[in-house]
Amino acid sequence: LVHDQQSGVDVLERVNDVFRDVFDDESLSVRPETTAADVEGWDSLMHVRLIIAIEKAFRVRFSSSEVASLKDVGDLIGLLQTKAPASQAQ
Amino acid sequence: VDQREFFKSVTALTKSGQHEEALEKLQDALGRNALDAEAIEKAGRLCDAAFAATATSRTRVAILAQCTSTWLSHALTATAWGRGHALHVVDGAYDNVIQELMAASSKIDVVVLLPWHQRLLFSGFNRPSQERIDEACAFWQQAWGLVTGRLGSRILQVGYDWITPGPLGYGLGGRGDGDVAVIRAANDALRRALPAGAAFIDLEQISGVMGRERFYDPRRHYWTKQPFSEAGTVRLSEHIAASVSALITGPKKVLVLDLDNTLWGGVVGETGPLGIALGEGPDGEAFRHFQEHVKKLSDRGVVLAVCSKNNDADAREPFTQNPNMALSLDDFAQFEATWDPKATVIRRIAKTLQLGVDSFVFFDDNPAEREQVRQALPEVAVVEVPEDPAEFIRALDAALWFEATDLTGEDRARSEQYRADRKRRESEVAFESLDAYLGSLEMVADVRRVDEADLDRVVQLIGKTNQFNLTTRRHSFAKVRALIEDPGTVALTLRMIDRFGDYGLVSVIIGVPDSERPGALHIDTWLMSCRVINRTVEEFFFNTLIEECRAKGVGSLVGVYAATAKNGLVANLYPRLGFTPRGPAEAGQQTYDLELTPTTAAKTFVRSLALTTQNVPA
Repeated sequence: LVHDQQSGVDVLERVNDVFRDVFDDESLSVRPETTAADVEGWDSLMHVRLIIAIEKAFRVRFSSSEVASLKDVGDLIGLLQTKAPASQAQ
Repeated sequence: VDQREFFKSVTALTKSGQHEEALEKLQDALGRNALDAEAIEKAGRLCDAAFAATATSRTRVAILAQCTSTWLSHALTATAWGRGHALHVVDGAYDNVIQELMAASSKIDVVVLLPWHQRLLFSGFNRPSQERIDEACAFWQQAWGLVTGRLGSRILQVGYDWITPGPLGYGLGGRGDGDVAVIRAANDALRRALPAGAAFIDLEQISGVMGRERFYDPRRHYWTKQPFSEAGTVRLSEHIAASVSALITGPKKVLVLDLDNTLWGGVVGETGPLGIALGEGPDGEAFRHFQEHVKKLSDRGVVLAVCSKNNDADAREPFTQNPNMALSLDDFAQFEATWDPKATVIRRIAKTLQLGVDSFVFFDDNPAEREQVRQALPEVAVVEVPEDPAEFIRALDAALWFEATDLTGEDRARSEQYRADRKRRESEVAFESLDAYLGSLEMVADVRRVDEADLDRVVQLIGKTNQFNLTTRRHSFAKVRALIEDPGTVALTLRMIDRFGDYGLVSVIIGVPDSERPGALHIDTWLMSCRVINRTVEEFFFNTLIEECRAKGVGSLVGVYAATAKNGLVANLYPRLGFTPRGPAEAGQQTYDLELTPTTAAKTFVRSLALTTQNVPA
């Protein structure tokens, strides 16, 4: 499946897939406003696990400051959209 | 393996309470290296849950580290289970080694001590490096005292490592006060001070083999005080798993080797002892080097055995006749060249050597043979052998089956003892049911009439096939062309694929009208590549031949077995298929007859491609 343009909806869907894998919960559904407090087990170690899984799924690489700046899922999607062009060269 | 599907099916098993089945599935996938690094960590968490649910007896391992080790503990559970060892891994708090050791109250079998270099390299300026090294060494010695004294556990000490050569750079980092030099000096001091019976893991070596740029992910060190990349985490966990097994059960003892395309290139039964690839050319050099490596393994105490599908005489010829062999027949504690299933042979070798099959490692280039051994003998460690012999040594080393904590004189003498014990012993051949294995190969054959396009390959096979060859008639190109142009001739080829790959055109049958018996087809040539022997391919081909005979109004078959020095394998093919011998054999030739009935058919596990395409004879 090739996305010519990364709409927020596409990215959210793909991000949600990664969340389900990482948290091992097929019923999990995240929204842009979802924060760590809303998901059970989303602690600092799980956060890194998640970041590494997102990097792999989207073929991007985050810097330490980017990771530190994320407040919610919406921030993550915004960040992925700025990186999307490179990530689509699959 | 589709990892998503894999985890779905494991989770489904767990949810329905089938924890044993979930564990089997996990072990199978982990043992085949079928999961990527991220999935391995997840598999470790699933193993943990299933172990707990089944109350599996486990070796208890504690990881106490100067860095975060959460990921490592899951990866260790998974990689150890892939190697057949169930672990219960507990993970200490970050950089709390001594505190955890003082507080530990439950029984622990092995304590993994994992240093990080924050104090050794960065604890204040202007402190002499020797002072820092001594301090590090004293710290770990204190920990060892608690591990053995207070807990009564075994020590598994991991060494220090560097990520970059430090401020003195590549040129000077390795000497004097350079970071690399300090790390190495600390490791040497630890090794010297380590008590007997403890294991040491040389982290500098391990990260070096993978490459530090891949092994470490500096970002993760700053995010969570965990310096390893995912791939590095898994690699380190493999080494820890191998060392834990070395401490608890000892290393594997026996290396069982195939011959053709494993110890040399080519099939000795086809090319003869001087025709194999060995010693010269890129392939030949790689095979020769692998033999030298194996010989050195034997010198350090690994017992060697041969398990090859071959005629015994053919299999031995290279050892006595080819000057490029590094291994000799005397290097093996047991030499089995037969056509029996390999799992049967391995069981027989184990019985002869009086060792458990769980101390065996199997190295064979043929994926179908590896699969048969995996299924029939899950206790045997099966090495994933790469296709290129240039990669053999690396693959065998990376499997870590012979990692030992120490080598004693007894170890070194072991292979010698087994070789000395080698005697002729009668042991009954325990035939096992192969049906499940053969079914699992998913063999599909495509039978076609020989046409002009196949002539080259057919003539080539006629010219070189020795073992599965009933008459060994070496027809020329012109002769074969003349035969297929005769409308009375039945000339068929068989191509085969299975789940491991495409074998191409592997078998040929040519039948001509019998000169004496009207309505009978005389099988002039029947041959097959030995790559697909013992898989009921011949039975399948026989069935197809009969269909073709029916279509042509042929009522009976005449077969001839002409014995040669090489084709003992098929001496009983015709009786096995229901043919009746016609009188006694004459000059090594036995003629057979078979009247076809509407139900004549042999049992086979090969399916026909005919069900989906039009390629079968009409």
